[in-house]
Amino acid sequence: MEQTVTQRSFLDSLSIKLRNNVPATIVIGLSIVLALVIAVKTGPAQLANVIVTGGMWALLAAGLALVFGVMNIPHFAHGESFMVGTYVGYFVFTPLNNYLKDNPNGLLAFLAPMIGVVAAMLVGAILGAVLERLIFAPLRKRTRVGWVMNTFLLTVGLSFVLINGTTLVLGPNFRGIPRYYNVPPLEFLGMRIAVDRIFAFVIAIISIAVLTWFMQRTRTGRAIRAVAQDETGAQLVGINLGFIHTLTFSLATAMAAMAGAALLFMFQAYPTVGLKPLYFAWYVVMLVGLGNVYGAIVGGFIVALLQTATQQFIGIAWEDVVPTVVMILILILIPSGIFGSEVKGIQEQ
Amino acid sequence: MNNENRFWNRLTAGLGTIGFTPLGLVLLVILAVLPFIPPFNQEHILRWLIMGAFLAAQAVAFDFTAGYINVVNFGFAAILGVGAYTSAILVNTSPVLMVQPGLSPWVGIWLGALLAGLVGLGLGILTLRLRGIFAAVMAWFVGIALMGLVRNLTDLTRGPLGMAPRTFLETTSNRPYFYIILAMLLVVYITLKLVTRSNFGLAFKAIGQNFDAARASGINPTYYRVFNFTLSAFFAGWLGGFYAHYFGALTPQTLMHTSKTVEVLALAYIGGRGSLWGGMAIAFPFVFFIEFLRSNLTELPGLHLVIYGVLMIMVMIYYPAGLAGLYDWAKAKLVSTFSRGKGQGAEA
Repeated sequence: MEQTVTQRSFLDSLSIKLRNNVPATIVIGLSIVLALVIAVKTGPAQLANVIVTGGMWALLAAGLALVFGVMNIPHFAHGESFMVGTYVGYFVFTPLNNYLKDNPNGLLAFLAPMIGVVAAMLVGAILGAVLERLIFAPLRKRTRVGWVMNTFLLTVGLSFVLINGTTLVLGPNFRGIPRYYNVPPLEFLGMRIAVDRIFAFVIAIISIAVLTWFMQRTRTGRAIRAVAQDETGAQLVGINLGFIHTLTFSLATAMAAMAGAALLFMFQAYPTVGLKPLYFAWYVVMLVGLGNVYGAIVGGFIVALLQTATQQFIGIAWEDVVPTVVMILILILIPSGIFGSEVKGIQEQ
Repeated sequence: MNNENRFWNRLTAGLGTIGFTPLGLVLLVILAVLPFIPPFNQEHILRWLIMGAFLAAQAVAFDFTAGYINVVNFGFAAILGVGAYTSAILVNTSPVLMVQPGLSPWVGIWLGALLAGLVGLGLGILTLRLRGIFAAVMAWFVGIALMGLVRNLTDLTRGPLGMAPRTFLETTSNRPYFYIILAMLLVVYITLKLVTRSNFGLAFKAIGQNFDAARASGINPTYYRVFNFTLSAFFAGWLGGFYAHYFGALTPQTLMHTSKTVEVLALAYIGGRGSLWGGMAIAFPFVFFIEFLRSNLTELPGLHLVIYGVLMIMVMIYYPAGLAGLYDWAKAKLVSTFSRGKGQGAEA
């Protein structure tokens, strides 16, 4: 009962937003047209591709939006959280896989990728908490002047350090796995979809659902939203700001790391693997408006659609150029994104 | 005594207008004779000096935007690359002009600088309505798009394979190149210093500190922001031309990538935002330190970049004023302890 009420109010607010929001309607309308064109021209397999990639971009972008919405940090090192996830996934899954080669075990073979993803989530959560305590908490203590810009540059430095630190420790080599599930692709509505893709999509959907539930239904989730709305007010009612900030950052990092581990079969693990996911996560948040978590989920699919369309119709070399140009247009025409962002301090210099 | 004093004051004031203190001038002279003094006359150390001057000049041009109008130009390296590629294309085969063997590099770098300046003009117009993070992200996206364009226009740029533009000189010695880039560094620094010392500098600072207040007090932010972007991009493109015709090798990845902007940004921040000279002064010791690490710790690739980043993070968190702030603080301390009552020279 409770669940349906939330559902309806979310859909309601979405439809109201759409009715009052011409840009969003145009963008979503164009996306649907684009999806139909892809489906007709290249077959529904590409649409499945859009859905899988879109789920992952959504997961990444939701973390980015969360960090911006709650802490006002434009997180440039989000791709590096993804990178950490791919490494954890690799280092957990490979030994398990080797073990499985000697002693076949159906249950473990089924669970092994999930163990990798969960390990990545845990490492991401710890990494996020440590980074927040080490970097952002001291800065917040020192000054809040020019916070958005300063933290942006800080995360730029952080990304630089993480990429080069990884190169230093693990070397620049590529570490990849051929596939997670060694089973033939599923036949579905006449398309063949690799089980790995379904796995990645399921991970994305579960994570997004858990995140939504957590934000809407739990006390801590409400506290996070309260901090996003009004920091002083949240503090007045007894919310521990430091804890919420650390938790938020940890959550976002964990989600990105999960995405990294879940997509290990597509992206190999190497130091700069995070750049492309970072670009796409930023396209999403710029499209829907910085700090808009639910918008980011919708936006993830729109950007994935744009990406796939570019790959199919223009060429794979242009896959970051065309979305970039579209996002530049979006920034010129509607800098606050198609769903708008209701974030404090967004107009800060 | 009195006469001497007056002469001294006039000298420092004169130097001050072009942005030098007596100490700065002494350092510059040392830098200029350094290529003749062992151990700095070795070719590989000369390369480090050239790299230092190249990064120093970039840091100055970058700080002109970041430190004054407070917009972080995240597409800086891409604009530099536009200058480099334009010059390289015109100098090499010139398919556009249909002349062989193309223009002289000395002409090419100016044309590259002009095109980069035009890109800067466009970027300035694009980011006009945007502030802070939005402007930075816009510049970043434009940078990604420019890099993608260079990568994909393989007919002109040979894409990821890279180009081999003609070099300025036939010589294999690095010494002449050092004087070229030193002269370019001085031109960039003095020009930008003169601009920021004029009313323009005041207007830039006003826009950077409080956009609305600046507009309310009659400053036209459109004009000043676009002007600032154009000039900064012009010099970036000019320096890119030097890169092309010094190294004789260009790839989009090594020149236009965002991480290249980050290197310059780190220098400008460690040097002190809004000082212009901070990044320039820190670039030389920094390049030496970094290259020393790189050549001695070959089994640890990337350590120098980690130190780069960590230093930037530390400076941003604990000492945002950077080297320039440290210098001002030390000078104020010295002045208050030693020369109480004496006339103060022009500041840097």
